[in-house]
Amino acid sequence: MDGRVGLRASRRAAPTPRVAVRSSPRQRARVREQEPVVSAMSGSGLGKENKAGSSTPLRHRPNAFSELDNATPRVMLRKIIQNQPQVSPLALQTVQLEETEDARPEPPSQRTSSTVELQLPDLVPEDASVTTFRMTRKRKKLSISEFERAADKRLPQNQAHSTLDSTLVRSLRMSVGSVMAPDTVEKRGLLRRPQNHKAIDIAAFEGGVEQNMLQIKAQDYLVDLQTSSMTGTTTIRTDAEVVLNNTELFVEPQLGEQNLLAVEPQLSDSKTSAQRSNTSYPAHEKARLEGLVSRVSTDERRTLRFSEKDLITDHEHVDGITQKTPAKEGEDEQDHSQQNDPMEQFSESEEMAGTTEHHADAEYSEHSEKKLSRKAVSQLTAAQDAGVEMEMTPSEGGVAEGTEHQDSPKAELQMAGSPGGHSPASYSLKKSGAKPLKEAVEQTGEIERGTITGVLDAAEEEATDDESDIEDHESEEISMKTPMFVHAAAYRPHPVLSPPHPVKSASPELPPQPVRAKPVPKSSGAAQRKTREPEIASSLIKQIFSHYVKTPVTRDAYKIVEKCSERYFKQISSDLEAYSQHAGRKTVEMADVELLMRRQGLVTDKMPLHVLVERHLPLEYRKLLIPIAVSGNKVIPCK
Amino acid sequence: GSEAAGGEQRELLIQRLRAAVHYTTGALAQDVAEDKGVLFSKQTVAAISEITFRQAENFARDLEMFARHAKRSTITSEDVKLLARRSNSLLKYITQKSDELASSNMEQKEKKKKKSSAAKGRKTEENETPVTESEDSNMA
Repeated sequence: MDGRVGLRASRRAAPTPRVAVRSSPRQRARVREQEPVVSAMSGSGLGKENKAGSSTPLRHRPNAFSELDNATPRVMLRKIIQNQPQVSPLALQTVQLEETEDARPEPPSQRTSSTVELQLPDLVPEDASVTTFRMTRKRKKLSISEFERAADKRLPQNQAHSTLDSTLVRSLRMSVGSVMAPDTVEKRGLLRRPQNHKAIDIAAFEGGVEQNMLQIKAQDYLVDLQTSSMTGTTTIRTDAEVVLNNTELFVEPQLGEQNLLAVEPQLSDSKTSAQRSNTSYPAHEKARLEGLVSRVSTDERRTLRFSEKDLITDHEHVDGITQKTPAKEGEDEQDHSQQNDPMEQFSESEEMAGTTEHHADAEYSEHSEKKLSRKAVSQLTAAQDAGVEMEMTPSEGGVAEGTEHQDSPKAELQMAGSPGGHSPASYSLKKSGAKPLKEAVEQTGEIERGTITGVLDAAEEEATDDESDIEDHESEEISMKTPMFVHAAAYRPHPVLSPPHPVKSASPELPPQPVRAKPVPKSSGAAQRKTREPEIASSLIKQIFSHYVKTPVTRDAYKIVEKCSERYFKQISSDLEAYSQHAGRKTVEMADVELLMRRQGLVTDKMPLHVLVERHLPLEYRKLLIPIAVSGNKVIPCK
Repeated sequence: GSEAAGGEQRELLIQRLRAAVHYTTGALAQDVAEDKGVLFSKQTVAAISEITFRQAENFARDLEMFARHAKRSTITSEDVKLLARRSNSLLKYITQKSDELASSNMEQKEKKKKKSSAAKGRKTEENETPVTESEDSNMA
């Protein structure tokens, strides 16, 4: 055994112990028992040493008990760590040289003592195994320096900087944290993937919006031209068509806002000039409107929506766009109504809005023209004008819709920001002059309402308008029936609705939009009973929703969530009212709420209300709902 | 033991009721099939009858809840109207029918009372029950 060990040690002294082991046929017989272990070990990674040595001590121990104390694994390991050099796995000459050099002196020393100590030969394999281990551990250091050298050698041409700088940089990088071995440089496993910020979409979107605004501006020019040329008739053909072609839902509010924004700065100048030429640009306007409409998606200026819609409805109206989104319908209606008489025009616009979807352009334009001419005199041009001039003077309705006023009101209206420049066209008919879009829009909306009915609520107004419109217009029967029904249904439980409701009713698909109330904030003095519907802060909804969803959400989705939640709250509040009324009370009590939850299926026979309260509410609320008994015979809350 | 027996009886009763609903559903489906010229598979009829039965259970629970909410122990047409609030058209229909029934009841009562108070008094009571029953059938 010793001889064998000695042979093995001598063999192992060679740079490649594996080779040595295998190459010696003499030893094979003796080393056979160790070969499998050796080969297995060598296959693990480094070819130099293997863990075969670890097994050998076990074998040799029973044979040489006397030397066990001196050559415990711990002692051997210590010796190895202290003595064995670290060998890099890389086939670098320097490293190998080191290894060989280190290895060589050791075996001789061991050899000398191998005869005496049984464990020494074991030390070699152990050293090998330990060295292997050490090598892996120290691999990083050596490899880094080696890597740097190699990299320097390899990429001298690639680097414009001095090698020193590059090495420094690399060394810095290495030291800083690259745990990668040189061979892993190409790998990107530890590199971070490029982050995709969602803001990019928004940026692109904004850019597109700006482009649209520019387009709208151009459209406004065109519309103005058209309107000015036509007396009493709005050449909304293009605008309406453009708007109608956009099949996006809820485009109205967005369009209006954006248009308002875009148009405002631009409208004041170009309107009058733009009004000269008209008919030639329908196609263009359409295209632009479509583009604009499709891109609008922000609820920035909800207050402008209403006015925008009015404008749009008028335009679309005239154009006789066959395709119209429900949103457009509402807009058309509103626009139309704005242009025409407050009451009648509402109906007209609604009718027209409805009909535009289903009727040919020619028909429509004729109708619109007729209506416009009809209502030209009685229209609230004054209101519009007043609105245009920032003075809410409903009495100004005296301003004729004639061309004389077309410029200013139209300009203002246009500025109001019809999505597709519709508003300019529609308003251009009646008004002239430039005014801030917002003001014009708001005022026109308000004026219309004021003139229409100082008595009726905005909602009721619109409801009646819609209904009357439906009845008036024969061609719009089909289209208007749904709005009427929706309108009636919507208005029945909610008698006090904001002005935008008629628009909503006109478009059955659209859920109610309480935001529309915003455009009609303060009446200029006329008796306007517009009660603004209270809304839940959109930021709150966004916050809660995004918290539970845990993934990014688009703005459109937030809008829809807002609408849904509003619908939901309306429904449950009406339910609660019915329940309390059912019990002969006028106040909603907890019993009503519990009944509602039972109906919803949240509270069952198995799940009482208190359990839900405990589960979901914070302690403060729980204290209020569930009595707590405390010391001193007190019950909180006191009963 | 008694509860188990009661439960068994209850189970049997439920099965009988379910079978009755199934039979009625089948009859109605056959009428509709003849009317529209379509065929109803057995699974369809079974599904409809099961749905109807479960929904009837729901209605009963809700109606009892509503009556209790109004501190009453009898289910009235008011409870039914509250139940039908979900669907506007259904609510309108039910309200209409209940008004008709109420008016006809009133007329009958008045007539009978005019004719003879004692004898007709009993009859009005009898008339009331069929009235409520018909209302229930409307709801169901």
